[in-house]
Amino acid sequence: MTREEKEIRLADLVLAKAMWPYIRPYAWMLAVSTLLVFAGIFFELSIPLLIQKGLDGFILQSGQNSKDALFLGLHMEDFRSFGLFFCLMILAAFVIDFGQTLFLEYSGQKIILNLRWKLFSHMTGLPVAYYDKNASGRLVARVAGDIENMNEMFTSVLVFIFKDLVLMAAIFVMLARLNAGLAFYLFGLVPVILMSVTGFSRHVRSAFRTIRQKIGEINHSFSEGISGIRAIQTTGSAATFIKRFRDLNATHYDAAMRQIKTFAVFMPFIGLLGIISTAVILWAGGLKVTAHEMTIGELVAFLTYMKLFFRPLRELSEKFNLLQNALASAERITTVLEQKKDRQRLTRKRVRMDAIHHLAFDHVHFSYDTETPVLKDICFSLEKGSSIGIVGQTGSGKTSIINLVTGFYRPDAGLIRINGQLQESINTMDIRRKTALVMQDPILFSGTVKDNICPPENPLDGPDLKKVLEQANCGFLYDKFNGPETMLKEGGRPLSAGEKQLICIARAFACNPDLIIFDEATSYMDSGSEQAVHEAMNRLMKGRLSIIIAHRLSTIRHCDRILLLRNGRIREQGSHPELVRAKGEYYHLLEKETL
Amino acid sequence: MDRNSIENHRKITYASVMNFQVQTDAVKDGRKGGGLKLILPFFRRYKAQILLGMVCMIIVDGTQLIVPQVIRSVVDTLDAGSLDRAVLIRQCVFILGLGVLMAVLRYAWRILLMGSARNLEKGIRDQLYTHIMALDPAFFDRVNTGDIMAHATSDINHVRMAFGFGIIVLVDTVLLGGAILAIMIWTHPKLTALALIPMPALIFFTRFLGKKMHDFHTTAQESFSVLTEMIRESFFGIRIIKVFNFESLVTNRVGHAATDYFRKNLKRAVATSLLRPLLGFFFNISSLIILFYGGILVMRNTLSPGELVAFLQYLGLLAWPIIAIGWMTNLFQRGMSSLRRINALLQSRPRITCPENPVTMPRQIRQIRFSHTGFSYDGHTPILSDICLDIPGGSRVGITGPPGTGKTTLACLMMRLYDPTQGKIRVNGIPTTDMDPKALQSCIAFMPQEPFLFSATIRENMLMGRNMPDTELEKVIRICDLSDTIKAMPRGLEALVGERGVTLSGGQKQRLVLARALVEDKPVLILDDPVSQLDTQTAQRVIDGIHRRTKDRTCVLISHRLSALAACDTIYVLENGRISAGGSHAHLLETSRYYRHAFDVQQFEET
Repeated sequence: MTREEKEIRLADLVLAKAMWPYIRPYAWMLAVSTLLVFAGIFFELSIPLLIQKGLDGFILQSGQNSKDALFLGLHMEDFRSFGLFFCLMILAAFVIDFGQTLFLEYSGQKIILNLRWKLFSHMTGLPVAYYDKNASGRLVARVAGDIENMNEMFTSVLVFIFKDLVLMAAIFVMLARLNAGLAFYLFGLVPVILMSVTGFSRHVRSAFRTIRQKIGEINHSFSEGISGIRAIQTTGSAATFIKRFRDLNATHYDAAMRQIKTFAVFMPFIGLLGIISTAVILWAGGLKVTAHEMTIGELVAFLTYMKLFFRPLRELSEKFNLLQNALASAERITTVLEQKKDRQRLTRKRVRMDAIHHLAFDHVHFSYDTETPVLKDICFSLEKGSSIGIVGQTGSGKTSIINLVTGFYRPDAGLIRINGQLQESINTMDIRRKTALVMQDPILFSGTVKDNICPPENPLDGPDLKKVLEQANCGFLYDKFNGPETMLKEGGRPLSAGEKQLICIARAFACNPDLIIFDEATSYMDSGSEQAVHEAMNRLMKGRLSIIIAHRLSTIRHCDRILLLRNGRIREQGSHPELVRAKGEYYHLLEKETL
Repeated sequence: MDRNSIENHRKITYASVMNFQVQTDAVKDGRKGGGLKLILPFFRRYKAQILLGMVCMIIVDGTQLIVPQVIRSVVDTLDAGSLDRAVLIRQCVFILGLGVLMAVLRYAWRILLMGSARNLEKGIRDQLYTHIMALDPAFFDRVNTGDIMAHATSDINHVRMAFGFGIIVLVDTVLLGGAILAIMIWTHPKLTALALIPMPALIFFTRFLGKKMHDFHTTAQESFSVLTEMIRESFFGIRIIKVFNFESLVTNRVGHAATDYFRKNLKRAVATSLLRPLLGFFFNISSLIILFYGGILVMRNTLSPGELVAFLQYLGLLAWPIIAIGWMTNLFQRGMSSLRRINALLQSRPRITCPENPVTMPRQIRQIRFSHTGFSYDGHTPILSDICLDIPGGSRVGITGPPGTGKTTLACLMMRLYDPTQGKIRVNGIPTTDMDPKALQSCIAFMPQEPFLFSATIRENMLMGRNMPDTELEKVIRICDLSDTIKAMPRGLEALVGERGVTLSGGQKQRLVLARALVEDKPVLILDDPVSQLDTQTAQRVIDGIHRRTKDRTCVLISHRLSALAACDTIYVLENGRISAGGSHAHLLETSRYYRHAFDVQQFEET
């Protein structure tokens, strides 16, 4: 137990160190918030004290003649000025309390905004390999959910745990000052309270976790049931799914009941502790009053403070949970932030490059995990104005070649040369600036078509944009939609698959590349759109270097050179007529495809 | 006079409690009480549990009120200067006893009342899911998936809050608040009246700010989901972003979205931060009034000091019911409108319904015939018009044509996922509208165009709860060319796919969904674009396998890949929602311009 705690604390220190640079610019805000919190505590505590002074000084006057009250060295001579002072105090309490809460929220949100932005821009700089290794849903959770948890830490946890602890300590001091003897009795309760709070929070945490997890599963099976409704209904398996859902729902119910039971024990228990201490204080205090060791007003004040003492307890345990959550999130965020960025690998003497006119693979070997080779001894070269087609079955390594050309991955052995120079020695940004990629899944971002097409460094204006769209056979945008201003929703809606692919080709046109790569770009297409896409492709390929990956031979037939890949090796290489004449694997493939 | 004004005030307070009833039931929606019907049976079923819980709570509330009275009497005896130890002990033990009683009863009502609210939640959620499973595709065309999700999550939560917490708070407020008020009035009506002056403002602000908080929270959540989606698509398209150097662009976009979320969150923060201090403020004003006016009364000896102290204590107890009134009305309003939305969803009926006396499904399907069938989703844009085609039992029919010409719709009509808007579809001469859609669907195996995988194992995804011996399943897997894929999986057939499992390629998904359709030997098989994502050789292998397996069955094959259709007995070309040509492969090559052209593109001449 203790060892575990130590470990956590150590990890927390590391976390704090990693997070500090992101928090530092806003540290003053947190400091001001903390000051305001103290001011708030001061007001919160002074009001019961004022009531006590009023009771003792003016109302009860037990035997004394002088009608006055002393508060913080301030003499109030008559009841009316006391009332006025009280008014001012509660007004100030209101202002401070509001100001403090709002300012704290503001600082927390501001930190989070900054952190989220930094994290996201850091992540866009991470190598593609990182994205291939981690499920994208999990990565999204880093920037969305985890950052949100951190927010919780700043706005409600850190300062408030601090505040509650300070408040309880302050109340305790007040109680001790009112009557040390009575406070001593109360002190006996503290270990019981601490033990019950920690025990409770452990239980509640696990219950909450199960509930959250089950709710996640329920939401998931709801959305899955809706998106997969056709599959469910047409296979007649609705009953199975309903039964599965009911079981899941029942486990959620069980978890919820467990949580209710935990609370049903804890909450009344805290209430009971309050009552017990009231009884004890009343008994001991009553004796003290009769012995003239304390005034009635003091006893009343003591009871009021005691109530305040119990109030933060319930929340404190809740906030410990939030803190745990936030720390777990912070840990996940730091791991992401510690990932090395893509570009940092090529710091030394990068060569500037304006245009690509030659690309060559020289005995390139490659694997993703250094164990299973994916590409073996790949050699080819490509000049400006010519094209290479790559065919092969799924898993033969076609896409891996593209991963190397674009610099997403580095070869294990062998050299990749661009314009005769080593790929590593050239600024990756320069290579990519002159490269365009059209993939099997037409990837479009929500926003206007124009946003999707234009390179950020040189936004195209009206006529140029129109020309690009026309070249890419995107005339339909003007006929059916709103031209380049057409708004696309998530997943490129409302465009059809073929139309989306044409927009992707337009994007390639717009960046005016030297090297153009088509990765199965026509596989979703029917013959009608395929032709439009092919036309656009051919227009785009003119005068550039192009690499075309396809599983249909018709797509690559006109390429100057065709590579046939199998199990990561180039089996055949040559132009279409050459390969046909050779009557090898390519020829067999061709025969099969022609019915 | 004074007593009257208090009474009036109390009436006002009660009226505002009851107000939500009037508003939610009558004003908001024409359908009066529509939602309540949904939860009444629940209340009936858990009557005993709820009543018992309420009784426990009432006793707790009553007990809670005695404690300040005991304190008062102790303080008064202390003030009088005459204190008997035995009395003091008795009083303290009495308080302790009350404490234990309260703890036990509190435990009981929490379990009883909150438990029944969870039961309600569970029941509604089950009902909702079951209902959704029975709705037809037309419903899902109309209604946004996100909306249904909202019903299933936040709306159900609102209902639980309203009818779980809501009831608790209602009982608490009415009883505890009423009793406290009564005692206060009984002690000193005028002082009570004065002390309550700030309370209406308190109720108003809780309500007002509570509503604002909720509204701002909702807009902030919306902004958050926009942000999340933006992040998701950026990560999904990371390769494109990198190749086209879009990094700065997407970072800016996400930055904007995050700033928007920041702003909306801040708005929510203002409302949230205002509420608590404001409550404290009004509450302190009440204390001031009690202290000031009560103090004068004590000085005049018309109020005992103990009574004044008890008054302050009661005010402390009153804080919660007063705050609760505002809070609760919001809770109920939200709960009621959520209930109404859930109810509306549960009221929606599928458009495709079973006729009262459905014709029993023939055992053999001899013929499916479309006669002048037309269809439109929205009533005015025709998707299919004047379709006449004949599918003899046991034959193979191919359908091709450019995209968006209604091929998928045609398949859906055959399944009776939709009913034609013109003409009829007859199976063995019986119109499909005279059949039970479920019975019809049980005769047809269907592979939809978009492969959808559930996050479950590969086996579960194929079987979908149906049974099939492993040897048979092996055969299906072999036909779909999945043997190697499955062998390569870490846990074979038991490997998880989908969101939390392995990611499959488009072609693998497609074949998996094909296997799903082949698992049952149904008399009719409809495959919508089964091989579009496979390479030519694999596609041909798979198509051959399908033909072999479904030799004597009726098979409808939709594809752009003409090589896949070549073996069909009849092929129809669908263009602009009409059949433009039909016949064998050879026949179509000569008669259909579209077919010829498509063939030329896909095929190439030998040199």
